[in-house]
Amino acid sequence: MDILNQFGVQPILLAAQVVNFFILLFILKKLLYGPILKVLEARRKKIEESLKNAEEIEKKLQETDEQSEKIIANTLQQSQKILDETKEAAAQILEDANNSAANIIERAHVQALEAIKTERIILERETKEHLGDLVVLAFEKVTGKKVTREDQERMIEKEVRNLS
Amino acid sequence: MEQIVLKPEILGFYKQLPITNTLLVSWVAMIILIIVSAVATWRIKTIPSGLQNFLEMIVEFGYKTVEDLSGSKRAKVFFPIVMTFFLLIVTSNWLGLLPGFGTIKYGGEPLLRSINSDLNMTLSLALLSAVMTHFFAIYYLGLSNYLKRWFSLQFFPVFLFVGILEIVSEFTKIVSLSFRLFGNIFAGEVVLSTVASIFAFVVPLPFYFLEIIVGFVQAAVFMMLTLVFMVLLSEKHATEEQR
Repeated sequence: MDILNQFGVQPILLAAQVVNFFILLFILKKLLYGPILKVLEARRKKIEESLKNAEEIEKKLQETDEQSEKIIANTLQQSQKILDETKEAAAQILEDANNSAANIIERAHVQALEAIKTERIILERETKEHLGDLVVLAFEKVTGKKVTREDQERMIEKEVRNLS
Repeated sequence: MEQIVLKPEILGFYKQLPITNTLLVSWVAMIILIIVSAVATWRIKTIPSGLQNFLEMIVEFGYKTVEDLSGSKRAKVFFPIVMTFFLLIVTSNWLGLLPGFGTIKYGGEPLLRSINSDLNMTLSLALLSAVMTHFFAIYYLGLSNYLKRWFSLQFFPVFLFVGILEIVSEFTKIVSLSFRLFGNIFAGEVVLSTVASIFAFVVPLPFYFLEIIVGFVQAAVFMMLTLVFMVLLSEKHATEEQR
């Protein structure tokens, strides 16, 4: 170990340096490596999270876009349907109205015809009644004789006798 | 010209402990490191700035390197150790380049001296590295698996010889780690003082740049070698797994 002596190696100095190293190791671990590795890890996590969030946001945006498009398409379809239905209903109503109008007209026509018929019958009857009176009146004027009930009965009797 | 001495100069004694100038500087380096990291993480923020950003870069790079080599489970254990090796060595290497080192005298001896130009310091780091490497090997492999590496149960001469070689290589690691660092930094000091004594203006500058690079490279080499040794020894032997 002569060579070590030449270099001035002393066990106590070696030990001192070893102790120095361990003190430094301990303090640096507490002060430097620990906090920095922690913050690096935290940052890495944060970045990862942010990226994931961004991705999610984009996905959500796309979803929303798709949904809104779908909703618009749906709405358009529905409005078209409503429009169609309305048109159909309107057409139906129009047809119904036409039909009932025709019905009413026909009924009115029939009723009118019936009314006319009855009227005519009444008129005929009245005319007949009045005709008898008119004949009697004309007879009175021609003969200048008032036809009474007795005359009428006599005349009828006479005619009946003639007939038999 | 300065006299070149291998031994660190003893400035005084604290009880039994000789206070050498390198020990003093290693305390200074420790204090600098502690203060810098305390300032950087005093109000640690998620959005970093300034010093925190700078240290984050270093720590993240170191952690990634360790993680790539050892996997995330062992990285948590290995990382603080190898990173402390790196930070301590690089700080002390660069600290030794500052003016005043070797020139300020205290009782006839230089007050400050680059830490790693003293074999005490590098040898203690190398021993630490080796001891921790073997400790982790036992911790991760279990004692029996660990011993199998050195003493093969198969009494085949080749395996016995391989085991002996492995043991020798472990001691070589300590020697190579400590002397590589010591030699590089000590040689740098010598070169700088020699060049400065020839012509003190401008001429030493390229050598200072060189020493800045050497200081960083040696720290990185020490860190990487320690890391690789730790990873290799704490990994299950490839042939063991196949059986």
